[in-house]
Order: sequence, then C-alpha cells, then structure tokens
Amino acid sequence: MHYLTLILKNVARRPARSILTISGIAVAVMAVVALVGIAGGFERSYLSLYKNRGADLMVVRAGSTQQVSSVLDARLGSRIAGLPGVEEVSPTLVDVVSFEEKDLVGVVIQGLPVESRTVQNLAIVDGRRLRTGDVRAVMVGGVLAKSLEKKAGDTVELLEGESFDVVGVYESQNVFENGSLILAIEDLQALMMREGDVTMFTVIARQKDRGSLEGLARQIKALEQGLEALPAREYVDSTVEIRMARAVAWSTSSIALLIGTIGMINTMLTSVFERTRELALLRAIGWRKRSVVQLVLVESMVMGILGALVGTLAAVGLTRLLGSLPASGRLISGDIAGTVILQGVAIAIVVGLAGGIYPAYRAAGLMPTEGLRHE
Amino acid sequence: MSDTMTGEGPLLRAENVSRIYQDGQVRALDNVSMVIQPGEYAAIMGPSGSGKSTLLNVLGALDRPSEGEVYFKGQPLSKMNDLDRFRSQHLGFVFQSFHLLPVLSAVENVQIPMFETRLSAAKRAQRALELLELVGMGHRANHQPKQLSVGERQRVAIARSLANQPSLLLADEPTGNLDSKTAAEVFELFDQLHTQQGMTILLITHDPNLAACTQRVIRMKDGKIVSEESNDPEDLATDRARHGDPADDSKHPPGARRVTVRRANKQ
Repeated sequence: MHYLTLILKNVARRPARSILTISGIAVAVMAVVALVGIAGGFERSYLSLYKNRGADLMVVRAGSTQQVSSVLDARLGSRIAGLPGVEEVSPTLVDVVSFEEKDLVGVVIQGLPVESRTVQNLAIVDGRRLRTGDVRAVMVGGVLAKSLEKKAGDTVELLEGESFDVVGVYESQNVFENGSLILAIEDLQALMMREGDVTMFTVIARQKDRGSLEGLARQIKALEQGLEALPAREYVDSTVEIRMARAVAWSTSSIALLIGTIGMINTMLTSVFERTRELALLRAIGWRKRSVVQLVLVESMVMGILGALVGTLAAVGLTRLLGSLPASGRLISGDIAGTVILQGVAIAIVVGLAGGIYPAYRAAGLMPTEGLRHE
Repeated sequence: MSDTMTGEGPLLRAENVSRIYQDGQVRALDNVSMVIQPGEYAAIMGPSGSGKSTLLNVLGALDRPSEGEVYFKGQPLSKMNDLDRFRSQHLGFVFQSFHLLPVLSAVENVQIPMFETRLSAAKRAQRALELLELVGMGHRANHQPKQLSVGERQRVAIARSLANQPSLLLADEPTGNLDSKTAAEVFELFDQLHTQQGMTILLITHDPNLAACTQRVIRMKDGKIVSEESNDPEDLATDRARHGDPADDSKHPPGARRVTVRRANKQ
C-alpha cells in the first residue's frame, strides 16, 4: 500500500463531507483565480494600451486618480515637446458616452491626433482608418461594434442629436480599445465642449534618453504646478480603476478563503475526533507524533489541492464565458495568466495546511492509552 | 536493533514500578517488580481494576511509571529519547477490540506499522501477505474488517503486531471479545507463535483455561503482584486441586506458592 492510498482512503471515507469541504475550497479558489485573474487581465490590458503606443511617460494632472478627471491644457504639449530628450508628444482626450438603447453605459471614447501612432497602428477589420480631413467620423472597436450592431458606413449617435459616420471597425489586442471608440481629438473636444482640454500626454523619449526617464519626468513636472509624469507601469498602478479592481478582487477572495479555511478546520477536527481511537492506535504501535501530524496535514492538503483543481477549472470556464458575452466582454479578456492559476493552487495548499494544522496537533497530542479507550 | 540492546539477560525487567494517578490518591500500580525472559509465554490475571492494563501499558512504554524503572534488554526506558521508535521496532501490540482501521483491507491494515520503517510499498505488501499466511488469513487478505468475523479480525490484528518483527508481543485481553471456541483458536495461534517462532508473549486474560495454556501466570490485585505460578503440566493439577479456581484470587490463601520462574521454556 502506498502512503497516498492510505490518505485517499481516509479522505474517501466520508464522501459527502469531503466533497462539501472540497467544494468550499473550490469556490474560494475560483473566486481568487477568477476575480484576481480578471483584475490582472484588466491591468495588463491597460498597460498594453500605453505600451503599444510606445509611451515612456504618461503626463496627467497630479492627484487625478480617475483617468477622466484629469484635465490638462492642450498647449502644454508643445512645451513638453520642447524639452531636451523628448522625441514625440501625443495628446489624448478621454471621455465617456452611453448608448442607452443598448444598455451600454460608461463606454470610453478617445480623442487622438489622426496621425498618432495609436491610430496608425490599429488593425482595421472593416472599412478604413481615420484620415486627416474626415468630418464627424469615428472608428469603433470590434467588441463594441458587435454590441451596437454597427459596421463601416453606418452612423452612430454619440450624444443626442450628434451623429457620426462609422468609417471603420478596428480590432485591438487590448480589451478596452475593443470596447471603445476613437475619433479625432479636435472632434471630441468640440463634441464635449472641451476645446483646449487634454486628459493626458503620452511622451516618447529619444532612444538615448530612455535610460534617464526619471530626469525627464522631473523636468516635465517642473513645467507647471500639479503635473504628474509617470512611466506606464506606475501610471497603471496609480489609476483608481485598477486599484479598485484589485481591492475588490482580493477582499472578496479573502472572505471566500477564510470561509474555505474554517470549513477545512471544521472537517478535519471532526474527522480527527471521529478517528480518535484509530489515531491513538497509530501512536500506540509506534507512529511518531510527527507521522500523525503529517497524516492529518497531507489529508487536508489533498482536499485543498482537489479543491484547487476544481476551482481553477471553474474559474477558467467562468472567465471564458464572461469574456465571450457582449455585456462583459467589453471589460474582461477571457484568459487568465498562468501565475494567477499558480497563486490559486498555492493558496489551496496554504488553506490545506492552515485548516489541518490545529486538528493535526490535536490528533498528535492524544495520549495513546486514553485515545484507545475513547468511544 | 542497536548493539547495546542485544546480549544475555532478561528481555524486560520492571523494578519497583508504581503508577500513581490523581494527586497521589490512586496507586494503580504499587511497587511492582517482575522479569520477562526471552522466549517466555506468560499471562497476567486478576480482577478488574487490579492494575493489569496499567502494568502492560507501563511495560509497553505507552505509559511512564510514576516511580521505579522498566528495563528493556538492560536499557532503562526512562533514558530512551524516542519511545515511539522503541515501540515500533521492538514491541507488538494486540488489543481486546482489535483496533483495525475500517477503511483498509486486512493486508493494508497489517502494513500500517511498516510506514515507520524504510520498507518500499512492494516490500510492505509482500511482508503483510506473508504474515497473513502465518496467521491463517492469507485467503482473506483483501477483505475489509467488517467482512471478517471477530476471530478473523483478531488474527489480522495479530499479524499487524508482528509487522516490524518485534521481540515482545503484548496483548491486553486479546480474547475478551471472542466466544470461547474462537478464543481457544486465537490462543492456539499465540501458542504456535511461541513454539514455532520463539516469540516472547505477555498477555492479559480473564479466562483461567486460556491462562493455563501459557507457561506462567502472574496474578495481580490492588496494583500488586500477589503470586506467580509456573504452569508446568505436572504442577498444574495439584495447584488447582489445592487452591480451587485459579481465577478467583480472593480464595488464594496467603501462603500460596510464589515462584519466580526463571526460564520455563517447554523445550
């Protein structure tokens, strides 16, 4: 008989109880993997959004934790461009629109210079790219186009009575861009009555100055009071959307984990109590305390790992499903990073250990002579 | 087995052993001294509460004496730092209620003590099967305890007690839960282990007929050893005639023959 056979037979002894415990762990692991995975995907999408633009630094209003709340003067752009070491400066105006009839609220709309890299690098799947000289023209991300049932040549009403021509549909690697609209920055400024406003500038440094971005950031901040210049990574970390997503993911998961752990402790304590005589027998015939501790811990870890397997599969299935639904696909990229799955498994092992440790020591602390008399 | 534990002399020796419970109120064992020689087959008898099980627990390193010392092959148990290992390597235990693990088959139950050794899984299984053959349970190897009769369960438990080749078998009322026919069969097995394998066996029993199968009967009362008798076949009849039912200690006259049996092997 292998040691694992002994463990599995003990776990399988009370199938209903073991399955319930494993389910508890599975739900906890699913919460972690799905929520943290979604938040992580969110973050990666955000990051790639700026990385794809080649942005070295993002210049925003200091203290504006929400992207749309940052407002800068468009004329700042030329002053940044004048700094030594700056290769290119590109303004972006970000706002939100809603399509009530399709139940879509908070759809991101980006105003960009038509000649900017972002616009020029987009993969067009229908129609064409924005061109200089287009009037009241907009490009729609693939996911959003599907939700709105629009294709190139249609018109879309961005605000009441404000119709724009859909010149093209683009497909981006980025889940946010796929769920958003892009139009010329001047058009967006006019539409929103925000002439001269910019949300942020993306700054590309000269090749030789890439190494000293901190120096460049200091120079930009010195241009005006209340400016923040951050590398893309830090900018993404600082945005409230990302922090919220992370916080919600981890707090929800922590609760799930706590419940899972308590369930495990309960199960293992009951199991140890039920098997008092058996565990006492093991001690009597020469099993060391360590061996009894190990037996109980491995049993709870096996349940934890089984829970992790089930939970991870469920989480992957759930995020795939959410990523494919039009309503949620706008925000959720259907894949989960491998590291998140590893996190889920690691957590299950920790839960297994945490849930087993007290019952294990209870079991090992048993006097064999007393335990054998236990009824 | 370490070298210091080999050599001549008694296998087990208890010297002025007492076990006191509850702030000194209860002396479950009261200044007991006794010797078990290698190859001996002995029974402890006595009424309930006479300290039989306490003595067996102390001798088997399941319980520490409050006073006195137990020596195994001359080594004091109190000086051993790993009594679990000692029990695992040198002792085999058989209990009244068998204590088989219900989720495991017979052959798996026999392997349980072997998890404290370095035997491979294949070796464990092989040895367990051999032991089941030895106790006449080879044909039931893959049965669960609940599929076995009580007598069969005790045979499996005896096979388990032999798993790590112990030098001493301790059995606490091994036939207490068995009917007399099955009990006699189990005693036959003990006898066979003693004569054929040279196993040293110390057991507790209430049954005078079964105790008569052993070489020596140690009688206890109120935590003390009140007599030790040799079961030499010639002596036995006269012994019984003189003292009546040997199970009834109270009838024992104060001047009953006390023998410190040195080595009462049948050979």
